[in-house]
Amino acid sequence: MELRHCRIHISPVLGIRLIILAGIGSCVFVSSFSSEEALHNSNVEPNAAHCPETYISKSYFKKHAYLLDPDFQDFMAHELHTGSCEALQDKLNLVPRLSILHQHLIGEGSHRRLSSSIRFKSLPESLPEVPAHFCEAIIIERLPSGVFADPFELQHLLQRGVFADAAVFGDINLELPSFRSNRSIVEIHLDIGPNILSGHKNEVEINIELPLHARYPPLGKRGFSAVQFGLPDLFLRCSIEGKSHNESCLFMSTHGGAESQVVAAVWEVPCGIKEHEGVVSVITFITAIVSALLIVLTSIHYSDITDCNHLKQS
Amino acid sequence: MEVRYTDVDYLVFSDAASLMASGKSPYQRSTYRYSPLIAFLLIPNSIIHHSWGKFIFSASDLLVGLLIHTILKLRGVPQSISTYCAMVWLVNPFTFTIGTRGNCEPVVCAMVLWIIVCLMNGNLLQAAVWYGLVVHLRIYPIIYALPIILVLDPLYFQSGKKPAVIDWSSSRIKSAFKSSSTKGGDPHHTWVSLTRLVTVRRLMFGLVSGAVFFCCTGFFFYLYGWEFLHEALLYHLTRTDPRHNFSIIFYHIYLQYEHEFSALEKLISFLPQIIVQLVLIFRFAQDLPFCFFVQTLAFVAFNKVITAQYFVWFFCLLPLILPWCSMKLKWKGLACNFLWMGAQTHWLIWGYLLEFKGKHVFIQLWLASLFFLAVNTFVLISIIRHHTYSPVFKRLERVGSKKTS
Repeated sequence: MELRHCRIHISPVLGIRLIILAGIGSCVFVSSFSSEEALHNSNVEPNAAHCPETYISKSYFKKHAYLLDPDFQDFMAHELHTGSCEALQDKLNLVPRLSILHQHLIGEGSHRRLSSSIRFKSLPESLPEVPAHFCEAIIIERLPSGVFADPFELQHLLQRGVFADAAVFGDINLELPSFRSNRSIVEIHLDIGPNILSGHKNEVEINIELPLHARYPPLGKRGFSAVQFGLPDLFLRCSIEGKSHNESCLFMSTHGGAESQVVAAVWEVPCGIKEHEGVVSVITFITAIVSALLIVLTSIHYSDITDCNHLKQS
Repeated sequence: MEVRYTDVDYLVFSDAASLMASGKSPYQRSTYRYSPLIAFLLIPNSIIHHSWGKFIFSASDLLVGLLIHTILKLRGVPQSISTYCAMVWLVNPFTFTIGTRGNCEPVVCAMVLWIIVCLMNGNLLQAAVWYGLVVHLRIYPIIYALPIILVLDPLYFQSGKKPAVIDWSSSRIKSAFKSSSTKGGDPHHTWVSLTRLVTVRRLMFGLVSGAVFFCCTGFFFYLYGWEFLHEALLYHLTRTDPRHNFSIIFYHIYLQYEHEFSALEKLISFLPQIIVQLVLIFRFAQDLPFCFFVQTLAFVAFNKVITAQYFVWFFCLLPLILPWCSMKLKWKGLACNFLWMGAQTHWLIWGYLLEFKGKHVFIQLWLASLFFLAVNTFVLISIIRHHTYSPVFKRLERVGSKKTS
């Protein structure tokens, strides 16, 4: 049979050209690259246009490397700047209340949604003298070890308008098991609406569903690891329009009262059983070795097999 | 339940590409573990259309089909058989969804096949450049280094002469393994080849491909530092993922994860892989496409982490060996096919119960992965047993030497 040489005409140095082109492109695009931004475990803020004070949690992680509940509570009690709203200064004893009604997990398996229902209760009497203002609820979920939120998933929710703003702080490595990772915080901002403090609405109920994912938990004995959630920290931030500048106030809701009746969610995550260790290791390696040996023996005796096949064909 | 068609990897590529477009490092996107070249290729995602990358990958998918056809025609396979073999790739629902879902593997597959074409046409410089580039993009093609070096024998590649490709029809008539003039699979011949390993062409191939690899790696290291080196290169070399995947070793890794693996443990876990690779190379190197196929299938089967996208690595090579396979589709071929798909489906069922239903099925999932390895081994052995060994190249006559039979 005549051999036909089929040729595809591709430039002989197309590969080199591609590399050079990519290199030039990288140089152009990297001109403003800063190494400070390219780190793991960095805080991910989908909306980079906001000023740093936007996120309460970011201030915490500026001073602390890891999320520890006592440190965060201390931070909220002593270091959080509540801002100054002169218009409301005399009325601070009539602070609007945010409280959590219930918290539970929706879904099955390793990917679920944390559903929280939050009630905003306005003041019994309106404050008509309060200038125009806009309030947002800030919900801070201190995620337990073993659970994480995907910042890019939150970004998609932001783009769809589910939240006004959202960010993840702390350990955002999506792949590590829980015993090799640290905790993280999800901070969600939701618009309550304009002039809520001088309006006639008594109560506003907000429902949020936060998509979460379980990490591989530490090994256990019973095959499941319980991940216990805590109640979120709730804040109300109001921006009041002023003559020369806008003022911003931060109201903190403390846990207690009706919230003490709320049962925090518990996530049962399947885990490996330590007793399996020896048997699994031995059988895994035996299987690998046996499979490898079979392939090796077949390859070594390949010529015998080929002769048999040709004998059968003839 | 909302099930996305687009692969998560495509979102990772797109995010990395948009970071690159705004002058930042693509590695700011967590889980982006590829060369910056991939992100660079997808920069038009944020400029032209977000599906630009999918078009590139799908076009690569079609290119793979064309290259399969080209390689088979170069080996003298009849037009009809070449077309059917190309269709095995093109109409395979697994492979065309890979590209349309936004996975970059078709690009790598196209490059690997193009390297084979270049070798068959005697374009060693081009083959070396593309080989260095493909190893930079995806490390796994490094396993092809030794068979390529072995096939660059002075008996086949001589100055001023194009390598002569053995015709398909002649390779099927003879008992190619024993009567082949090259005796490529003969261990003695392989030993003789090894002793004459250092030749100009081999050195040139190694130097050029190595230079391309190190230039790319060095350049991007200069731009993106250790993060690039760790994410794009070292991560893949040292990766031990405790999360469930097709590999038999995932549960062992999870159970042992709380304490570091010793060097001995790492070596032992790598031993089956290295032994299988070396034996396959030294037996089948001269039948280059077949060697690539069996190497890749074994590499994936014994890898510490196996995800579905890795199957594409040998799917693109399967059509290249079919004309030399005596296994009839009915019923051995179909049996192997259904057995392999069945083992995969079996694993996926347990994986679904673990991940999406939260059932404790680690043992069942691990047993399913053992079964999957057993099936992969069976399929590989069956393919070897039914393959008609056919070296790609035949010995060229030296100028002034006598003709050898």
